[in-house]
Amino acid sequence: MHALVGENGAGKSTLMKILYGMQKPDEGTITIDGTQVGFHSPADAIAAGIGMVHQHFMLADNLTVLENVVLGGEKLYGIGARARDKIREISDAYGLNIRPDVLLEQLGVADRQRVEILKVLYRGARTLILDEPTAVLVPQEVDALFDNLRELKAEGLTVIFISHKLGEVLSVADEITVIRRGTTVGTADPRTTTPKQLAELMVGSELPSPETRESTVTDVPMLDVDGLRLTATDPDGVVREVLDGITLTIHKGEVMGIAGVEGNGQTELIEALMGMRDPDGGVITLDGTDISHTPTRKRREDGIGYIPEDRHRHGLLLESPLWENRILGHVTERPNSRKGLLDLKAARKDTERIVREYDVRTPGIEVTAASLSGGNQQKLIVGREMSHAPKLLIAAHPTRGVDVGAQAQIWDQIREARREGLAVLLISADLDELIGLSDTLRVMYRGRLVADADPATITPEELGSAMTGAATGHLEHNQNGEGR
Amino acid sequence: MKKFDKDRLLLGVAGPGLALVVAFLLTSVVLLVSDRDPIEPYRLMLETAEFTDVQVNILNQAGTYYLAALAVAVGFRMNLFNIGVDGQYRLAVMLAAVVGASVELPGPLHILLIVIVAMLVGALWAGVAGILKTTRGVSEVVSTIMLNAIATSLIAWMILPANLGEQLPGSNDLTTGEIAESGWFPGLAMEGGTIYGFTFVAFALGVVYWFALNRTRFGFDLRATGASESAAQASGVDSKKMILTAMLISGAVAGLVGMPLLLGQTHTYSLSFPAGVGFTGITIALLGRNNPIGIFFAALLISFIEKTSADLDQFGYEKEIATIMQGLIVISVVVSYELVRQYGLRRQQQKVGEELAAQARRNKEEVAL
Repeated sequence: MHALVGENGAGKSTLMKILYGMQKPDEGTITIDGTQVGFHSPADAIAAGIGMVHQHFMLADNLTVLENVVLGGEKLYGIGARARDKIREISDAYGLNIRPDVLLEQLGVADRQRVEILKVLYRGARTLILDEPTAVLVPQEVDALFDNLRELKAEGLTVIFISHKLGEVLSVADEITVIRRGTTVGTADPRTTTPKQLAELMVGSELPSPETRESTVTDVPMLDVDGLRLTATDPDGVVREVLDGITLTIHKGEVMGIAGVEGNGQTELIEALMGMRDPDGGVITLDGTDISHTPTRKRREDGIGYIPEDRHRHGLLLESPLWENRILGHVTERPNSRKGLLDLKAARKDTERIVREYDVRTPGIEVTAASLSGGNQQKLIVGREMSHAPKLLIAAHPTRGVDVGAQAQIWDQIREARREGLAVLLISADLDELIGLSDTLRVMYRGRLVADADPATITPEELGSAMTGAATGHLEHNQNGEGR
Repeated sequence: MKKFDKDRLLLGVAGPGLALVVAFLLTSVVLLVSDRDPIEPYRLMLETAEFTDVQVNILNQAGTYYLAALAVAVGFRMNLFNIGVDGQYRLAVMLAAVVGASVELPGPLHILLIVIVAMLVGALWAGVAGILKTTRGVSEVVSTIMLNAIATSLIAWMILPANLGEQLPGSNDLTTGEIAESGWFPGLAMEGGTIYGFTFVAFALGVVYWFALNRTRFGFDLRATGASESAAQASGVDSKKMILTAMLISGAVAGLVGMPLLLGQTHTYSLSFPAGVGFTGITIALLGRNNPIGIFFAALLISFIEKTSADLDQFGYEKEIATIMQGLIVISVVVSYELVRQYGLRRQQQKVGEELAAQARRNKEEVAL
């Protein structure tokens, strides 16, 4: 099992794309099992026994596991009993525990990931590439995944594993390759390397920690949510409650972290707070003003900053230049415009300031947002949102897919703004980040806030069990290591 | 930074350039396959264009097309496909002609009234599609096509002598009555004929279009919605309101399409008013990349092809060659723009990567020194 680590924009994804035949190398060779190969398309790579499990699952919700697996691979074992037997066989062989006839929409994230892995094995892969497989899993699920991977390894398969989480990499990999700016900067032996050393190898600097030092929480409420309720209608016409009885108060200078497995209502909560969805009940109060049904633009003008969960869909215009992206979301505010007219000169100048102050690595502000790496895109977004002196910052996975260096910077900026009285709602899948950065913690499960915890004492494992619905109420740290 | 700008300009021209070359080559292939001289028709067309009256015709036609293309482009900029420009324009010009013929006002006021009526009718007709989309989620493509058909029938009924139209003695044509001279838009008399005054208004509108899109908050919201609806919504754009507004504007501009001809020449709406202008507008907006300058040249090109191909029949070539040419242009435009766009994106990503790597190397060297 080989792990690949590196900063964002270091070239990990490009390397993987080349291995999977999605891009062609200019120079160099790829050798599999002693034979030199050249891939022109993913089909070639699959034929050579390489399989890729993407970070974002490519599965159809309304099909069964069986149908998802055979889709596109109908010629291998047909689509009926033979395919079903093959799936069972693979599932048993590697302990994947997959039932072929379950509808995919009934499966959780971890199960879906196993389906993806099975899909790749079904096509005869001997080399598996996993792109940040743990990003969406809670700690218990991560352990289960690693057990599966060890099983694969024991059967003689090769696993290439991309991750940002250094602790995991060290616990599971047999060998680690670190790349930086497109070249290999070193290999590390996980038995003798510490996370700190690994991080230093990656960025050439010290490992940042998300810990907040002193409390800056005041008793002035900034955001007050009372009994928020939101319903959504399924494609089948069934009305479902996606948010129910959400009540929370964030004070000036407070960071409230919301933990939860993705898909438990966090996205909907953000959208209700941003005004992208109209709540069916409850009151949202920002700085003493009722904003329950205020349009998004007004909320933004009133001081809500927003770091979206999916920056490509909600945070950027990918094919527009950086300075236009700097205007996005703040088009009615200075310096971007005056009396309905855009002020391009001022907007450009301010973009240059953001690029400088937030260390966005780009050759200039005329390039499109798409040409920046993920971390630099995120820095631009953070810079933009912070430039309008927000009262409340809604930060959804602010450091997802961001390298260690940029991560530390973003954490610093949030901390600094918090000192000046910013209220922050932090939603993250990175439990270390949640625990380290938050002043208070809540756990969200099936659209409700089911538990709260003190970040000073709680451990990721204890938080993880509440995220799966196993524990509710106030979580106390148990010295014996048994989370309630 | 200048380098990237030059690149963008180059890529911007490369798209249409490639498309036109391919389209003309394909047309030659079609000519060859049907045993015709593959070059001769082009030469004949260029020769025809040397007559001053043809030149005036081309320019006047280009003005009409320019308006139609602008109307389409407004929608395109936010991913709305207004196929209904044709219906909006015909309904608008007809009702404007009716109103214009029924009143007599001092010159400028009379013209202004006609123009405003046309814009209102166009906006109203497009607004129907807008409301359907925002309230019921009906695709604007479907509803505008339907509205085209409804407009055709509506016009046919309204122009009956029993309703709003009149039949001239000794003619089969139905008209809406002649607009008094105070409602005529003065033109520019040239050697080969008169350039409609409204043609200049059309081109001036291109400047307004550019300014509104690129220099106003509204334009930014509109472009943002077109670039990424989800991002625009998160940024605070009310997408429903935006859809409706864009549709209304597109319709209002579509309403102007008939003005050069109505105010400059016919002074009445009749059954012989050209149909299909809105569809040609789609071609031109595509070819001109929704850019006011691009659209200008595209409009000139298309009207050049149209006006100079009319005489091909006399030399033994079917004038339908022009139609084939236009169709091929549309296809090659769509393909080549996508190719150039992808190439441009990839190239820029590579360039940014290279420059950053170079920057990093420089930093390293400095540290080493």
